Amino acid sequence: MRGFKRSWQFHLMILPSLLFLIVFAYLPMAGIVMAFQDFKLLGGGIFGSPWIGLENFRTMFEREDSLQVIWNTFFIAALKIIFNLLAPFTFAILLNEVRKAFLSRTIQTLVYLPHFLSWVILGGILLNILSTDGGLVNRALGAIGIDPIFFLGEGNWFRFTVIASEVWKEFGYGTIVFLAALANINPSLYEAAEVDGASRWKQTLHITIPSLIPMAVVVGTLSLGNILNAGFDQIFNLYNPLVYEKGDIIDTFVYRTAIMEGKFGFATAVGLFKSIVSMALIVISYRIAYKVANYRVF
Amino acid sequence: MYHKTVPYRIFNLFNTAFLLLLGLLCVLPLIHVLAVSFSAKSAADANLVNLWPVDFTTVAYEKTINNPVFLSSLWVAVKRTVIGTVLTLGLACLAAYPMSKESTVFKGRNVYAWVFVFTMIFSGGLVPFYVVIQKLGLMNNFWVLILPAAVNVWLTILLLNFFRGVPKELEEAALIDGAGHFRTLISIYLPVSLPALATLGLFSMVFHWNSWFDGLLYLHNKADYPLATFLQTVIVQKDMSSMSINPKEMELLSQKTVNAAQIFLGALPVLVIYPFLQKFFVKGLVLGSVKE
Amino acid sequence: MKAFTKKGLLLAVACMMLISLLGACGKADNDGNNAGANNGGANDAGETAETGNGYKDKYDPPVTITTVWGVDPELKFKNGETIENNVATKWAMDTLGIEIKSLWSVTDSNNAFATKMRLALTSGEEIPDVVTIGDAQLAQDLIDSGLFREVGSLFDQYANDTWKAAMAIDENVWNPYTRDGKRMGIPVLDYAYNHDYLLWIRQDWLDKLNLQAPKTLAELETVMEKFKNENPDGLSPDQVTPLSIGFKNKMSTWMGDPSWVFGAYGTLPEQWNAGADGKLEYGSINPGMKQGLETLKSWHDKGYIPQEAALWDENKTAEPAVAGTAGIIPGPYWMSGWPLSDTAKNVPGAVWKPYAIPAGPDGKAMRHGTHFTNGVTLISAKMEHPEALFTYQNYMFDNYADPKPGSVFDNGLFKNYDYDIAEDGTLLRWEDIPGGYVNSVRYLLVRDGARIPDAQMKALLNLADGKEATTRLEKEVQTAYGLETPGAAKVLLSQEDISFKNMFTGPPTETMSSKLDYLNKIELQTFNEIIYGQKPVDAFDDFVSTWKSGGGDKITEEVNTWYDSVK
Repeated sequence: MRGFKRSWQFHLMILPSLLFLIVFAYLPMAGIVMAFQDFKLLGGGIFGSPWIGLENFRTMFEREDSLQVIWNTFFIAALKIIFNLLAPFTFAILLNEVRKAFLSRTIQTLVYLPHFLSWVILGGILLNILSTDGGLVNRALGAIGIDPIFFLGEGNWFRFTVIASEVWKEFGYGTIVFLAALANINPSLYEAAEVDGASRWKQTLHITIPSLIPMAVVVGTLSLGNILNAGFDQIFNLYNPLVYEKGDIIDTFVYRTAIMEGKFGFATAVGLFKSIVSMALIVISYRIAYKVANYRVF
Repeated sequence: MYHKTVPYRIFNLFNTAFLLLLGLLCVLPLIHVLAVSFSAKSAADANLVNLWPVDFTTVAYEKTINNPVFLSSLWVAVKRTVIGTVLTLGLACLAAYPMSKESTVFKGRNVYAWVFVFTMIFSGGLVPFYVVIQKLGLMNNFWVLILPAAVNVWLTILLLNFFRGVPKELEEAALIDGAGHFRTLISIYLPVSLPALATLGLFSMVFHWNSWFDGLLYLHNKADYPLATFLQTVIVQKDMSSMSINPKEMELLSQKTVNAAQIFLGALPVLVIYPFLQKFFVKGLVLGSVKE
Repeated sequence: MKAFTKKGLLLAVACMMLISLLGACGKADNDGNNAGANNGGANDAGETAETGNGYKDKYDPPVTITTVWGVDPELKFKNGETIENNVATKWAMDTLGIEIKSLWSVTDSNNAFATKMRLALTSGEEIPDVVTIGDAQLAQDLIDSGLFREVGSLFDQYANDTWKAAMAIDENVWNPYTRDGKRMGIPVLDYAYNHDYLLWIRQDWLDKLNLQAPKTLAELETVMEKFKNENPDGLSPDQVTPLSIGFKNKMSTWMGDPSWVFGAYGTLPEQWNAGADGKLEYGSINPGMKQGLETLKSWHDKGYIPQEAALWDENKTAEPAVAGTAGIIPGPYWMSGWPLSDTAKNVPGAVWKPYAIPAGPDGKAMRHGTHFTNGVTLISAKMEHPEALFTYQNYMFDNYADPKPGSVFDNGLFKNYDYDIAEDGTLLRWEDIPGGYVNSVRYLLVRDGARIPDAQMKALLNLADGKEATTRLEKEVQTAYGLETPGAAKVLLSQEDISFKNMFTGPPTETMSSKLDYLNKIELQTFNEIIYGQKPVDAFDDFVSTWKSGGGDKITEEVNTWYDSVK
């Protein structure tokens, strides 16, 4: 293969992106040292602030509610990751069965819409429709004999609501990538199956799903980077004193204690902790995908 | 043929109905926002608007269109989105192609891949980033909206996975013909990756269209803001306890209807672009070119 | 030719001198006109317009003041102007010889100004000569950075009498910005009582039910019961919100505020109150809270307050009030203009009237007070001409803050910006200004130009007593505020003695930085759980002991150390 000798071309192709990353990502990473500093606004800066070792991390883990908050974050984020993967995956397959192109495209466009509304707006809408005091959802539940549910004021229901509304908001947008993967499936596979007399269910099971799995693995692995991001905008708009115990997450607490007060050292320390956990999970799942399925995610 | 069987027809009927219902559920909030935008201020402030305007009026739209900042920020947003998307896609194609090769073909690929992914997870935070922006002279400069976000690692990795699906025979044929990798990328890979490129383009567009924080922090004048930044500054509710009271501004404060109009107008361009991109999701593109 | 040029030059110089002389005459005239309001400035600066230390009424050549801006998102500009270059910067140059130079500006939403300020200074950008900060934490950090100078001596030396008198109304305004007895920042004065509250009640409902306005909590309960169960507008009980309040963010806030319920039992939550022993005490742990919580719980059980009050923020509490389904909403005196003026559009005949805060069983009543300051102006240690800031502000205090009729700013600040005059010489309503109203006061170097804390209340009281509007302030409050505002001001001031400010205004103490967020969290959580009946009222006692052992006692100690240092 003559391609071997051309590997300088490969390096050249990557170079522009690499330069951008060095300038805008790696250079600023020097700031990670702030995690180990009592970062002073002035008279210090990144290179002059006093070193305090792991003090910032101690502050983070010494709070009475540290474990609770980290667990809340992990729990909500993990379920969001799972359902944000399953929902678009399933939806793409179901949509694939709608034969009329017009219908299929209309549905695609409709489910894509909620992604574009901010949580400030959706928070207000949720407050209305989930109200125990004549909200749409509770009236519907009442019609089938279920007592009103305090969706936003009861800890477990709050978690449910946060996850469900996030999945509802994002599944349409997440579907796009699977639709693109579906478009890449070689139609001759289906033709062959048809000739063999395979049922549609069999075709889905043996052609469609396996073709989508690599994409699902890629999206799933990368989304592990969010394992400690439970969705600041959403929770910040929806949470309230009744659900602090089950709904307070790392980002809301960092916002209250560090961002509002300009404690950049502490914020960096929390960020570093989150990054390390995410990175560990990504490395693990990358390894698993490679060992089990011999597939390199990236 | 399976789709003529009775069970499949029944399934298809229920499936379509279910998906339509789901679609309806997704469109309702937007209809609510639309209804608010066409309602009278007093009704909107009282939360009396559901899915249909109360006391229909187009005042909110007149105010929005007549706001010079809205129009200028719309233009900045279009500029940003077009330039940003083209640059992001270009860089992603260039970087994804070599990284889609096996490590037996391109030895350095694993290192590069991890170098890329690492930047998705770790960051130095706002402070050092701000210093870099400042030292590069990007402060209060349009390009601050473009350059820092030019490389999108997530999209690059997505694309490299799509590139892996390109049949090897195509590439080998090209290389044997003496084409370099640049030509192979452009004349072989890109034409068969249209669904992927449409997806990436859409993601990139949406990203650029919705980004607001950079504009707020690095640009000084409202007239230079992209639309998302401008909208962000009007949507956020004010905490009256921390500001001084000016009675004449009270009137301007409750702009629920105007905000709704701006949200809708602001989202409109990215909403209408999707149906146009859908034609790239046509099945069989890859196969078609193999047969050629 | 040469000689001619020289002559020309001489002529030009002579002309210039003449012009400046005329200018000086014009100025003297002007001073004569407002001698009453203006004597402070005249005395300090003297007619020579120069004292030994560089202070001038007008600088020639001009001096430059650099600053940075956090622009209010709602602030509008016209004629293509920006915050850097507008009618106010031109005015400062022309009138005072002061060039306002902007280093940067940012639209202040999402806390952007504080973030930008921190980042800019951290990354070594130029320090502005003068900057006005609203964010309390940022102000404290900047003062502690050592980049800004002591200002107390400058203030004593240069500030005119009007300004000094305004500042002397409450000496405590300096407290937050004092370090070891040194005054490190000039407090930005605001109108008094802006965030004090009273009860807005639907007068038409009271009338139809033949009820008197409630003077005690017991009477209030009767009113709420009737509003709910015998609603005069024919609303069914579950549609009515008798008292619209919310606790999502705080128990002590600015609209839909519940803190007076605790005030009826002798404490105000979320602030530091002076105890009987002269020490400061955290209001949320006072035993009175328990009775307040019990009261709120019973109101919640009876449906007098929103069932989802825990999810409601301030703006949400206004919704039922505007919709016409709420009977009572606590809030500031200015609410009749916004948002309550819209109620009548949804429910014709709806009338809101202001009433005093009702008293508890022991006749006690308390409401939280408003500080007379809403920020601080800092002066860079490197500023060459700090006196220029005082030239600017002295002018504002003399001519803008509360001038007698006939002053330069008689009708407002800038013609065709925040006011305009019709062809027949009358003042236009602000909606009718050609090209639109813009609040050009916000273009000024120091936020809001100059405010004298008690001036607005005085103006409102004059109007409430039937006086015709003559001064600028009187005209302004008359045309711009809602109709009920003067009456509300009167009600508010009739209860002046029940207004209690947060007595702790210092920088956050050491223990606060590490413990306060968690303590606040369990506080709000416990209070809400008690109101919702998820925990018995006795959970309050557990909260108090947790609060004390979890850092609260230490914080109390630190707060009192600070209090002793400023007393």
